[in-house]
Amino acid sequence: MSDLPDLVKNWIGKTVVKVDHTVTVERGLWLTFCAAVQDGNPLYWEDAIAQEHTGRVIAPPALLAGWGSELDWYPGKQGHGVRPLELHFMLKEALGLPNGITIGVELEFHEPVHAGDKVQVEQMLRAVGDEKPTRLGIGRKWTIDVVYRRQDQVLLGLQTLEMLAYRTP
Amino acid sequence: MPMNPLPVVNTRLPELRVVVTTKAIIMGAIASRDWQPLHHDYPWSTSTGGLPNIVMNYYTQAGWISRYLTDWSGPQGRIARLKLSMRSSICPGDELVISGVIDSLEQESAERCWVKVSIEMAVGERIATTSQVRMALPATDSAPSPWSITAADWRP
Repeated sequence: MSDLPDLVKNWIGKTVVKVDHTVTVERGLWLTFCAAVQDGNPLYWEDAIAQEHTGRVIAPPALLAGWGSELDWYPGKQGHGVRPLELHFMLKEALGLPNGITIGVELEFHEPVHAGDKVQVEQMLRAVGDEKPTRLGIGRKWTIDVVYRRQDQVLLGLQTLEMLAYRTP
Repeated sequence: MPMNPLPVVNTRLPELRVVVTTKAIIMGAIASRDWQPLHHDYPWSTSTGGLPNIVMNYYTQAGWISRYLTDWSGPQGRIARLKLSMRSSICPGDELVISGVIDSLEQESAERCWVKVSIEMAVGERIATTSQVRMALPATDSAPSPWSITAADWRP
């Protein structure tokens, strides 16, 4: 990692991005996700069934990370705003690697997410690999850890992402 | 599904077959507020992105796996950990075959058990994504739902 710019070296092992609030969790937003994967789990759709398990309907746990991402436009938005996994984009820009894909994800779920929740996000850089040839072009891998909390600091989940960023030949 | 009798290790879960459409990939990306062009912009994906087509994002893949497992377990199944390793892209036109096998069963108490399930998302002979999931289940039909476990006792 000796070829890394000082800016990036200084990020390793630290929380680099904190997002206080992007969208407030709403049932209508998560039902669109359920429709995309044809998920009829009644915990997401039906209050009467959800009541005996989760008290009221919950958001699909698989959508946890999405609650840290902004709408693509809102009144007064400046520039690109907070991008999904902002730290990944900061790394791509700092290292001159314009393209990126997710190659591995691990999610650990804690308290379920409900309508009205405001999700806070902390993104930490764990490690950055050396630049080397990949099947998509010259690239690097990096690992980002993310913590998701509710507005009252209750833990919602933990996530580790393995990313590959690259420039096409 | 009734959890009495308990799931058996090495049991294969029923396959789920899905023909992936452009609409479904874009719907999953937009619903997860993932605005990156590789999930909705074909010209960008195939030129700048160097990809074969637009590709399904990881949120949507996690959503399919979660749906696959809870279709089997019923709503009482509570996923604790979900790990995905993406080996190749999932694109429009792919026939996705999702399959799973129970790797282990741990009975934590008279009321609660944990299963670990290995899942594959395949397109023909090609493995697109592999996944390992840990899920809490009630140990009997009359046991409390794992969703009732308090934060202090929840050990994912």
